[in-house]
Amino acid sequence: MTDASAPRRAKLELLVRHDDESFDLQEVTSSAAWVQMRPTRVAPDAFELAEVTSRVSREHNFILKNRKTERFLMLSEPERFLWDQMAGHTSLQEMATAYVLKYGEFNFDIIPSLIRKLQQAQLLTLEPAGRLRRVLARNRRRRILRAAETALFALERINVSSQHVQPFFGHLYRWGGFLLFTPAVAVACVLLGVLGLAAGVRLWASTEAIASGFGGHAVAAILSVKLLLLATVALHQLVHGLALVHYGRRVRELGFTFLHGILPTFYVDVTDIFMASRRARVVTAVSGTLVHLVLGALWFLVALYAPPGFFRAFAAASGLIQFQTFVIALYPFCFLEMDGYHVLVDALGVPTLKSDALAYVGAILRGAAPARPSRETALYVGYVALSALSVAGFVAFNVVLILHATG
Amino acid sequence: MSRSAQTAEFLKTVRLFREFAEPDLQALTGQLRDRKLRKGHVLFREGDGGEEMFLVREGTVLVSKSVTGKVEQVLARFGPGDFFGEMSLFDQSPRSATIQAETDTVLLALDRDDLNALIEVNPRAAAAFFHGLVQVFIERLRASGELVAEITRWGLEATGLDMESR
Repeated sequence: MTDASAPRRAKLELLVRHDDESFDLQEVTSSAAWVQMRPTRVAPDAFELAEVTSRVSREHNFILKNRKTERFLMLSEPERFLWDQMAGHTSLQEMATAYVLKYGEFNFDIIPSLIRKLQQAQLLTLEPAGRLRRVLARNRRRRILRAAETALFALERINVSSQHVQPFFGHLYRWGGFLLFTPAVAVACVLLGVLGLAAGVRLWASTEAIASGFGGHAVAAILSVKLLLLATVALHQLVHGLALVHYGRRVRELGFTFLHGILPTFYVDVTDIFMASRRARVVTAVSGTLVHLVLGALWFLVALYAPPGFFRAFAAASGLIQFQTFVIALYPFCFLEMDGYHVLVDALGVPTLKSDALAYVGAILRGAAPARPSRETALYVGYVALSALSVAGFVAFNVVLILHATG
Repeated sequence: MSRSAQTAEFLKTVRLFREFAEPDLQALTGQLRDRKLRKGHVLFREGDGGEEMFLVREGTVLVSKSVTGKVEQVLARFGPGDFFGEMSLFDQSPRSATIQAETDTVLLALDRDDLNALIEVNPRAAAAFFHGLVQVFIERLRASGELVAEITRWGLEATGLDMESR
């Protein structure tokens, strides 16, 4: 039975033009806009947060003070967790997902009521998030920066997507996609990975000779390798979607966009997997990355047996970039929130590891960190240290590779 | 039935001309020009100049106003018997919105000179015309108020802003 007295959600009808003179009509309900909202708390020097523990229930609560208006708010521990997410990068939908990961259940009232409390206490702002955004917004009078801001917004708005992809993934799964989730394919992936790695090691000895196969077309070769990689990212996302179907969950969206307004990428909305088991979440995260392992191995094997020339160089470069993408996607300690990172935070039960760790290490560097270390703070320091070392190692490997290839 | 008789029959369905006598309708049909639009074609854009109003004979047009970049807000849809573009006839300002065919559309156009001629030659028909126009203006004014309220409600719901307990 439906509630006849429930108010109708307001909606806007928008006409979106395309470059080819065609257009789309899109109805946007206020609820759809609300879940995509990215609340941004006021600047760090505009509020104070103090912990208070009840002597009776031993519950941890927090007092949040707006230093400008002198208004105080009492936050529960889950509310404090949500407050920490409100840095302008995380949508309410993503916050709800992080909440489920941390607490194992979802309280449907907590986010709207917290938003209301924070708005009343003037602790949320509408200023653009991110340093680049703030600099661009501050300098709108300068024509070049205004153009840069416009370009950034325009690229961010490019989003080709569909929310009606579940039947497509269902068909794909029935027509052979299910084979990807059998033990035989898993074993084949590992074997292929080992063979590919061995081929890569053998190719290392003749890197310079292989790289010379590019001749005078190095720029065109790099661009085509990158384009091919973009296509394989689409394949990576398809496998994520198939994993959802495998576990009986729904693929909510498939699309193409410019991440942070710069990086072209394909994506699938896999949030429905959070309602499945941890094993399902791990398999979903890892399965997509295996696309790069398989392709990297195949390219290396092709490069090993191909005759000298442009194609061999192209195959070796593609193999290398696929292997690197596999490692970056699966390795959690690199400051990027990729598949491996999500598996790690899921296993640790710390969904905000990166932002918490960076905030803690930043506080140490400013001399403002709490004096008493704990297991949590050790985890933060470990994450930042390991990530910094890994990024340095990755950069060093590529420098050595370029030097090795160019003699 | 001749094309002119068909047009006169159609004009009886348009609110602006409902109170017109038969001879006045017949006279008017000669002043209206057919204008065909394929689906998706833009008739005019917000900011363009214009000296014509249009009656929708067949199909549907979208009325939209620019919001940001390539995004426009759809303000209304006009179908058979509706009219638009009359504001430019009176205040000579640029077009206030963009008109685009949502389906294959047939329009009838009436320009400022024809309207002035109607006013001069047939004051009784002109009075009926303006009476109908005022009635439609009132309806559109009310619809604009509703739209403003709807957009405000959308903004409040989309931001979760609770004004009642502020």
